Amino acid sequence: MKLDAHFTDADGFYEALLDAHKDLSAAQSAALNARLILLLANQIGDAQILRECITAAQNTH
Amino acid sequence: MNAPADISAPKAEFTFGGSGYTLPTYPFVTPPELKGETPARYPIVIVGGGLAGLTLACDLGLRGVPVVLLDEDDTVGVRGASSRGICYAQKSLEIFKRLGIYERIAAKGIQWSVGRTLAGNDEVYNFDLRKNAAQSDSEQPPFINIQQFYIEWFLVERALQLPSVDLRWKSRVTRCTQDSDAVHLSVETPAGSYTIACDWLVDATGVHSAIRKGFNLNVNPAKGDDRWCISDVRFKHHPPIERWTWVEAPFNEDRAVWQHLMADDVWRLDFQMDPACDMEYVSREDVVRERLQRQFGPDVEFEIVWVGPYSYRSQCLDNFRHGRVLFAGDCAHVMSPFGARGGNSAIQDADNLGWKLALVAQGKMPARLLNSYDEERREGARQNIEFTRRTSRYLSPENAAEKLFRDATIALARKYPFARALVNTGRMSSANVYPASGLHLGQGAGKHVQNVALTIDRKISDLVALQATRAHKTLVLAFGSCAAQAAAYTQALHGAPTDVIAIGTDAIDHQSKLAAQFGLSADGVAVLRPDLYCAGTAQAVDAATLIQKLKAWFA
Repeated sequence: MKLDAHFTDADGFYEALLDAHKDLSAAQSAALNARLILLLANQIGDAQILRECITAAQNTH
Repeated sequence: MNAPADISAPKAEFTFGGSGYTLPTYPFVTPPELKGETPARYPIVIVGGGLAGLTLACDLGLRGVPVVLLDEDDTVGVRGASSRGICYAQKSLEIFKRLGIYERIAAKGIQWSVGRTLAGNDEVYNFDLRKNAAQSDSEQPPFINIQQFYIEWFLVERALQLPSVDLRWKSRVTRCTQDSDAVHLSVETPAGSYTIACDWLVDATGVHSAIRKGFNLNVNPAKGDDRWCISDVRFKHHPPIERWTWVEAPFNEDRAVWQHLMADDVWRLDFQMDPACDMEYVSREDVVRERLQRQFGPDVEFEIVWVGPYSYRSQCLDNFRHGRVLFAGDCAHVMSPFGARGGNSAIQDADNLGWKLALVAQGKMPARLLNSYDEERREGARQNIEFTRRTSRYLSPENAAEKLFRDATIALARKYPFARALVNTGRMSSANVYPASGLHLGQGAGKHVQNVALTIDRKISDLVALQATRAHKTLVLAFGSCAAQAAAYTQALHGAPTDVIAIGTDAIDHQSKLAAQFGLSADGVAVLRPDLYCAGTAQAVDAATLIQKLKAWFA
């Protein structure tokens, strides 16, 4: 799992993410996030890295 | 020991407008114990003539090992019922090829190839298995759909041809005890009761096993609140010859529905129910009829063959061996029907146990070999329970987050192929792998080997047929440069119950698939277990070491 920044354009990604949620209800935002997580997870693919990402997310709230 | 079987006279007939199937019945024959003869001591007794018990009886019969099978009924299947299991996977079909009933199953059963997954009023995606046919190296298809009682019936007729198998109908075990020397059974029959003793007892009496309960063994039960109702029906005008699964069916309150097919134009409709439903009510004929009319329209004409409600449950014994008693099939493990893992795992249990029990009964291996049956098949059960639990969780989201992610998989799967891997309407039973198997002689141990095509004596044949020419023994397969060493290996293994096969001479791998099954390139040696599992491989340079390990294993 990568923990240092790996983005080609971190600010650009963040803005695109916010734009995608603009004007959405909480339910629509949740649904968008669910679809996005599944699309991104498939880009990673590797089971071990995905498990580490889930654990890291659980441990940073 | 047995009357000759007449395999040409099928008695089970389905008649439209009748009351379902008429199943074949088998006569009770007074056993020697009730004719005043001295009670015999038997090497192996199986209790229960279902998929596990009958598969094991045929396997032992094929190896010439004497076996008594006690069944409390005198027929196959469930009396008056159509079917329980309907789908038999490739590994089971390979086992049935060895037992000699595969051709009958293929002739009677149905092979479908198009499957559709639906949600709401339209399709999420579809697949055609014929396009994946090249991915399989086996001579058997991925699966065949057929009613369970046909399999049991073919197995009974096969067992009747095998002289070392003693089938005893209407024979109910009322008491079972064991000491260090033997298992003792009390058997009740129409002609009176008797007792017998045996070296090994195989309990294959199903989920409610009284034998297992008598030994007070822990089965670790887990129950879910998911409720289903199976309806097996025969239509006057049938739907397309395809498998359809609705994750959310509008005609079933947005719950799941399965639509499968089997032999004799009988279809299985499996409806997910409200967890709070009254199971007796939803199984009532008029309620089943109304449900089918909601799905197929008010004018649909059909006959109900069988209705079977069930709820998700799983359980698994702590140990599949208890002294001289071995547990196989549903009495050892239970899981939900998703992926047809119940019946297929019972068949795999019998396949795993047969050759080991034969070697122990013949005094060729010590009894501890039977511990590997527990290790391997309990691992198989663990895998099967995990698969079915995951399917159940997909089909019955436990909270809002689980439903959110399921909606996401369906939305994505409509457009993008990757998400179809996440839509879980059941994962089809496959040969379990045994990564931590104690029967580990080298690389690749515990991996299943498919029944690949081979040329033997200039005829197109297969791996199972090769085993048959060598009495279904463990085989040493010598590839490439190792094939020239076959005589030396045979000499080194003198006295061990195994044969060496020189690939290229004794059998020709004309499609170059066999070595790849073991993860070998052109050269090397592989040990093939009688149940078509790898016990270990070696490159040419380490071949002699593997042969020595095999020799030591048999010593």
